[in-house]
Amino acid sequence: MASSKAEKSIAPIVLGSLALFLLGVIGTVTLPFYDSSMQKPNANAELRHYAPNTPEARGRALYIREGCHVCHTQFVRPVKADSNLGPVSAAGDYFYDAPPLLGTVRTGADLMWVGKRWNKEWLIRNLKNPREMLPGSNMPRYDYLTDQELSDLAAYLMSLRPAPQAEGR
Amino acid sequence: MQPSVENTYRVVRFMFLSSIVWLLIGMTFGLILALKYVWPEFLAFGPLQKYLQYGRIRPIHTNLVLLGWLTMAYLGAMFYIIPALTKTPLQYPRLAMIGGILWNVFLIVGAVVLMNGMTDVIEYAEFPYFLDIVAVILMGVIATICFATIVRRREKKLYVSLWYFMGSLLWLPLLWIVGNLPPSWIPGVPRFNMAWFYGHNVIGLWFTTVGVGIIYYLLPKLANNPLYSHRLSLIGFWTIAAFYVWNGPHHIQNGPVPAWLMKSGVIPSVLMIIPVWTVVANFFGTMKGKWHVAATNIPLRFLLTGVIFYLITCLQGPFQSLMGPSSVIKFTNWVIGHAHLPLFGAFSFVCFAAIYTILPKITGRPLNSTALMNAHFWLSVGGFLLFASSMWTAGLIQGFAWMSGKQYGPAFVEVLVALRPYTMARALGGALMVIGQFLFAYNVIRSLAPARQATHPTASTA
Repeated sequence: MASSKAEKSIAPIVLGSLALFLLGVIGTVTLPFYDSSMQKPNANAELRHYAPNTPEARGRALYIREGCHVCHTQFVRPVKADSNLGPVSAAGDYFYDAPPLLGTVRTGADLMWVGKRWNKEWLIRNLKNPREMLPGSNMPRYDYLTDQELSDLAAYLMSLRPAPQAEGR
Repeated sequence: MQPSVENTYRVVRFMFLSSIVWLLIGMTFGLILALKYVWPEFLAFGPLQKYLQYGRIRPIHTNLVLLGWLTMAYLGAMFYIIPALTKTPLQYPRLAMIGGILWNVFLIVGAVVLMNGMTDVIEYAEFPYFLDIVAVILMGVIATICFATIVRRREKKLYVSLWYFMGSLLWLPLLWIVGNLPPSWIPGVPRFNMAWFYGHNVIGLWFTTVGVGIIYYLLPKLANNPLYSHRLSLIGFWTIAAFYVWNGPHHIQNGPVPAWLMKSGVIPSVLMIIPVWTVVANFFGTMKGKWHVAATNIPLRFLLTGVIFYLITCLQGPFQSLMGPSSVIKFTNWVIGHAHLPLFGAFSFVCFAAIYTILPKITGRPLNSTALMNAHFWLSVGGFLLFASSMWTAGLIQGFAWMSGKQYGPAFVEVLVALRPYTMARALGGALMVIGQFLFAYNVIRSLAPARQATHPTASTA
């Protein structure tokens, strides 16, 4: 194999690299778009389908601006570690979620169904001073947000709840 | 600027210096994050409370160390190694310099934009859309420069490092496009899946493959032995090209995706054992009879440690991608420890070895201080081991605590409080790592300073 003709030409490397890459893209990126289970909204998705400039839509933009998704997932799995968090997430739940906020780390608790857990007043007080509501919490204080912004953010969080039909799924 | 050895070295020097500045800034952000994890009120006053808020600066840390430090160090190394292996000076050196300057501008704008809360959420590529387009153009320019140099080569045989570089230079812009440029109206889980195609493959088909290419260049040089097996290195190349690209879906393990997609992500993850083993076997084969050199040759010691960390990465990674282990450690600090293993433990160490090896070649004089280099090594290794082991332990504690039902509210916070000793150890380990990098930067700058004066007359006539 040493110093064969093939090793003096860049064409096999370039073409081989591109072909293998393309195969992976088709398999893991393109094909999921043809899987029907990922392409249908459900009742939960409709609850999370906000009209522009509603408090919930503004709250979602704030959730992204402040990087809430960096520390909080919205992602309930059928595993024991998620057993108290509410209904298991389905692809349909996220149908209108753009950009999707499933998250990758739980520095804080999962927020998929947080609207079922607390009320708006509690959420706003927790955002302003997390250590008042949950001593020992390491969440930043969001007391630099205006009252309007806090109210929008809390409205968004309160909308994160299962649709009545989906409960106990 | 005409293609010449002198101009090649100018570009290499600029890339290395830029990368080290980003290393210091990026890791300092990381240390701030580690301290905020323990003391949430750290730096939370005045305007800093808002602009250095945890959720805003975490992406700044990841983007600066990935796209600033590692990527620019890789460019410096490739701009040296490609001309060396092809016996041809770097083509379009002026364009390379402009590309490097613009890449720095891109990173500065990106960091400022993220600090102001403009993010497009995709992990490791949170920079907004207009910067994503700038990045693709610059990646295309850099790939063109490298390919032009390889096409005009005087040495016909393509050494295996060049295979890895060529593959990586094609994959990086393509995977960036898949992850970053789909229009924002593509929502939901398929979009999340595309984001993880990017997030995983930028590690696998850029940071890993360029790093392996650098290992294959440095190893025979530092060990002063011929490469153990050329054929093994080629098997490694084709298996990594075939398997890595399929790994993305394992990030949605146990998630809302069909089982076939999960499996198509997990099986290739396990097969990743093959390419990593080709690197390790080649390393051990090449080191045969030369192990004593690692006692005195610090760049070789960095390279050796990097390869061992790379092996641990690729044993840990497939394990984590399996359904069972994932159900315990996913979302915990374990994953933070794992993510630092390839990026700091393996490939930053490869870059340290590369910079320490290449600098004396371009300045024509030995490095400023061996003692500082040694201190850099031990602070990096010791700090990282403390950092990573505390994160892995903390992750297991979190995972099992969540399984016992402590999933939100006061019970969740109880777990956070229990983690404090480990998160403090993480911050301490991180501080040692950061101190080591400041020593590294000082040593490099002192090594370059006299050389700059010496080469100045020739550089100005070039």
